Amino acid sequence: MVALRRLGAMVLTLVISSFVIFAGMYAAPGDPVSFLIGNPENMTPERIAAVRAEYHLDDPFIAQYLTWARDLLHGDFGTSMVYQQSVTTLLGSRLPVTMSLVVYASVLFIVIGVLLGIWSALRRGTAVDALITGVTTFATSIPNFVVAVVLISVFAVKLRWFAVSGPGEGFFGRIHHLTLPAVALSLGAIAVVSRVTRQTMVEQQSLDHVEAARSYGLAQSKTVVRHVLRNSLGPIVTMCGLIVAGMLAGTVVVEGVFGLNGIGSLLVEAINTHDFPVVQAILLYMVIAYMAVTVIVDLIYPLLDARVLARSTS
Amino acid sequence: MSRKHLGTALCASAVLVLAGCGGGQNAAQSPVKEQIKLVDSTPAAAGQLDQATWYMPKEPRSLDLDADAANSQSDLIMANVCDRLLQLQPDLTLKPGLAEKHEWKDKNTLVFTIRQGVKFHDGSTMTADDVLWSLQRHSADGASESDEYVNVTGVAKTGPNEVTVKFKQPDAVFVEAIAGDAGVVWSRKGVESQGKKFGTPDGKDACTGPFELSEWSPGKQIVLTKSATYWNPEKASKTDKITFKWGSDDVIVNSLITGAATGSYLENLSSATQLAGGTVTTVSQGPDTRVWNLMVTEKGALKDVRLRKALALAVDREGVAKAALSSLGQPWKEPVGSGAWGYEKAKFQTAYDAIGGLPDAPQQADIDAAKKLVQEVGQTQPIVVASDGSPVRNVIANAVVDAAQKIGLQATITQIPTQGYDMTDASVRATADLFSDDYFISKNDPVGFYKNGASNSSVQWLLRDPAYDDLVNKGRAALEDAERATIAIELAKRWNDAMPWIPVVQSPSTVALSTKVTGVPASGCYRYYPWAADLGTKGA
Repeated sequence: MVALRRLGAMVLTLVISSFVIFAGMYAAPGDPVSFLIGNPENMTPERIAAVRAEYHLDDPFIAQYLTWARDLLHGDFGTSMVYQQSVTTLLGSRLPVTMSLVVYASVLFIVIGVLLGIWSALRRGTAVDALITGVTTFATSIPNFVVAVVLISVFAVKLRWFAVSGPGEGFFGRIHHLTLPAVALSLGAIAVVSRVTRQTMVEQQSLDHVEAARSYGLAQSKTVVRHVLRNSLGPIVTMCGLIVAGMLAGTVVVEGVFGLNGIGSLLVEAINTHDFPVVQAILLYMVIAYMAVTVIVDLIYPLLDARVLARSTS
Repeated sequence: MSRKHLGTALCASAVLVLAGCGGGQNAAQSPVKEQIKLVDSTPAAAGQLDQATWYMPKEPRSLDLDADAANSQSDLIMANVCDRLLQLQPDLTLKPGLAEKHEWKDKNTLVFTIRQGVKFHDGSTMTADDVLWSLQRHSADGASESDEYVNVTGVAKTGPNEVTVKFKQPDAVFVEAIAGDAGVVWSRKGVESQGKKFGTPDGKDACTGPFELSEWSPGKQIVLTKSATYWNPEKASKTDKITFKWGSDDVIVNSLITGAATGSYLENLSSATQLAGGTVTTVSQGPDTRVWNLMVTEKGALKDVRLRKALALAVDREGVAKAALSSLGQPWKEPVGSGAWGYEKAKFQTAYDAIGGLPDAPQQADIDAAKKLVQEVGQTQPIVVASDGSPVRNVIANAVVDAAQKIGLQATITQIPTQGYDMTDASVRATADLFSDDYFISKNDPVGFYKNGASNSSVQWLLRDPAYDDLVNKGRAALEDAERATIAIELAKRWNDAMPWIPVVQSPSTVALSTKVTGVPASGCYRYYPWAADLGTKGA
């Protein structure tokens, strides 16, 4: 029942967002015809009419939306007005780049962020705690394109440890090429996650059941893992989920600096060239990606805390 | 297409210039030449290069040169894959290509004799039928080059290896267009058998050039390999394989510095400063037609030609060249660059030198003369100059404000977003008196530019003179180079008298190369000439 309601809500979200996206593009300023016919000297009335007919530009808004939505349901995202290729092909070659970048960056910020958070929570009030807080605060305050530019000039151009551009071939090639972009993308998130981890753990540490466990003489490591960390995981997972969802739509700057042909750079280019089918498809992808991440987070909750499942079934 | 804007390509890259870096080294001690020396070509290559990686600002949209989607990246790549009936040379003159010779039978009849024994990359032999079909495809409604065919009344095969083009009026410019995309020869079978796939990543090429298209992985790279059956063994490629990749200016600069890239034709001159004089890269510049101009709108503040002349006297072109183009551009007095001088070079140079009233760096006498012109006019309105925040446009806009203040005019800058910076839109033009733009033409003939002074032009809005229109038609019809040069010079003079645009700086064609390789042309010919075939190693 819950699953059904959930599914219904997702479908409704998709329908509404697809409509908003389409309407947004429809209302965008500029006549698509002037972008479809690149050469102003070719703007003959016959040519304009032919192009309008080809792209159904003269149909009423609702009819255009329904045509688009029907094609979507058949898995057809349309044809890029700029590249004359199917949008599916365009996204197909770029999605893996963006996805692997986001996955890599997520692994980095989750592992490093949580570990730093635990460390500083356990060493609360010490120099280590202050150092971690200080460094991560500094890291969040640097915009990621600055980080990217510095990383390239130091590690790629000066030291030649990493490639300056491109996504790389094969698993290890990809890891090698995407390390700098992933670091640039995750640096800000590491700070946020370590803060959240530290804060929730500090709160948990002073709770009664932790005190009780400690007074029974349970080993420090066991108290931390079983009671403190486990009960802190809820907020941490929520935070990580939100950050990952944001990253899926926020890779554009890093992609540009590192010469990665990903979804982000495609979106910006598509907006600049009024390539509406591509913009629509990418925005829809972002909505779906966001929903997917939230669903995954929701599925993780019951594993962390059985009470969540008990509450939702009752 | 006779004219093209750089538009978004440049502006998009500008964003990342602001983001900065680009390796950073050399920037301070960069020995950018005091005086620019333009060469047609880098020194010839001695040895065969097994593979090269070439960078460009973005991915091409289509490799079908007749498609509207084809852009300057498509040209850069396909210049090496496709031959044209005539071939543009690095010195910007024309030589026979797939047509052994061309001849005007009479004023309205142009006959091409088709070269025999030329093979397409699929192994089939090129015929006059392929040529006929190709020219018809170029001239079809909607094809990007169809505007070059305005005077053409018909194309026909008039012999086993002869194709004849008929005109309603003589058209010398058509011959130049034939060395561009309007003269590409496709294999009819090769194009038709591919249907909609032609020109897309799923398609193949259908041409005869020194390279074959072997891979287009969208979003990743395009690979060309040396053709084994090229018809001109003397010009067989000195590079076996060339891979095209794309990225922002920073990516291009960093790839060149680290050796990941073999070379790149740079659209953004400021990135060249980081590459010039280094030990791993060289930068060479050659003539091109591109010039940054201030286009005057009909809004009104500069309606009086004396005010335009005054402003032209007072703008510090040297300052703009230094600040906006890192001294790699040149102060320039004409709206079109020296790359337009594809014939009668000496004559055009002399005429250029004689142009007055557009100083490199204004002296006191220039300022005084400009002030006098402003006083003659009397009452003036404040001038509005448009920028889009990109570095070059900002510099030019500030130079205008500075010049105006010096001569007793008022000027302010208005910011228009890059996407809306479209001078062909009358409502955009109504918001400012001056728009800056880098304008270039695809043919190496001043007539190809000065036709923009005609009354029906869509890129200048002040010059409306029937006598000028007549002269444009005469220029197009003048089949003799010497006669056409004389007319072109007269057109330039009249354009300058009316000054619908104020020329600022010339932006030469610029190529950066790894120090290990050489051979490619430096001039603007790379849009149509098979430049990559000349790329090779330095040592034997």
